[in-house]
Amino acid sequence: MSAEVKVASYLTQYTGGKEIIKVEGKSVRECLHNLVQKFPALQKLLFDKNNNLLAYFNVFVTGGAVAFTDKLDISVKDGDTLTLLFIIGGG
Amino acid sequence: MLTPEEKQRYDRQIMIPSIGETGQEKLKKARVVIAGSGGLGSPISLYLAAAGIGTLRIIDNDKVELSNLNRQILYWEKDIGKYKTDSAEIKLRQLNKNITVETINTTIDESNVSELVAGFDVIVDAMDNLPTRFLLNKAAVEHQIPFIHGAVSGLDGRAMTVIPGKTACLQCLYHSVPPKAKFPVLGTTPAIIGSIQATEVIKYLTGIGTLLTNRLLMYDGLNMEFTELQVARFKDCECCGKLKLEDKT
Repeated sequence: MSAEVKVASYLTQYTGGKEIIKVEGKSVRECLHNLVQKFPALQKLLFDKNNNLLAYFNVFVTGGAVAFTDKLDISVKDGDTLTLLFIIGGG
Repeated sequence: MLTPEEKQRYDRQIMIPSIGETGQEKLKKARVVIAGSGGLGSPISLYLAAAGIGTLRIIDNDKVELSNLNRQILYWEKDIGKYKTDSAEIKLRQLNKNITVETINTTIDESNVSELVAGFDVIVDAMDNLPTRFLLNKAAVEHQIPFIHGAVSGLDGRAMTVIPGKTACLQCLYHSVPPKAKFPVLGTTPAIIGSIQATEVIKYLTGIGTLLTNRLLMYDGLNMEFTELQVARFKDCECCGKLKLEDKT
């Protein structure tokens, strides 16, 4: 399956300036790991030592499903967009 | 009824056809609670006071610090060391003597959140951390009070309006809670997001326009872009899932 990951703008310094990156994978987990293979600097920015997505990020999948922390085994269809939302809480 | 002075004072917004004197009277009767009086709370309270919201309740427990002054425009150098609520009350009363400003110097927690928001028409989220935002969101859902969310970091901002029972709540949106941490921020970021939140409050109270519901507005100041993320009510949401689904979008 081929999907697109849309990353937060501040992460584009680690993705060669790209905000939208084509990835391969049948689940959100596989797609994110494919993303990290392409841009290894993202590993520490996105995942903890147990390979769970950091709490600062939620992944919104086309259709409304949301992947987070260790809940990453959501199916991805061909052409889906995965929006990697950076959660902010300042005021 | 609006007094002649009020008609003159609010003339420019009464001129907006969808607001008019009827809308202005609705604002005069309204009771709005602003949770937090920092970067977001400053523009929110200033614009809502200026717009003639009848009663503003402002909750905060911090004192003004020098490092607040790049963004918290309610406070000036002479206010350093004073409670923000005390300082805010003085400024807002000087801005508009016709409204009621209630300030509460306390930390919002699970034990007091319900009492602090009960009986108000709108809750505005101007907090500096997500755990307290979730408490406010939960109280908003329990009391069925609209909740106007806003958050900032650096040159990034977010805003979303929650109408409990009808639209996605904050817990439908965020599924994990990052820990509380010191955050960077350019002063103009909360100015922009806080102004959007104040606009949503006025639109809701007067019943005009289309609210920022079921979509998260994302402001990227670095690239000067506004984008939206569609958000749906989460049927298993721990917070609002029990409320009747009045709107599936």
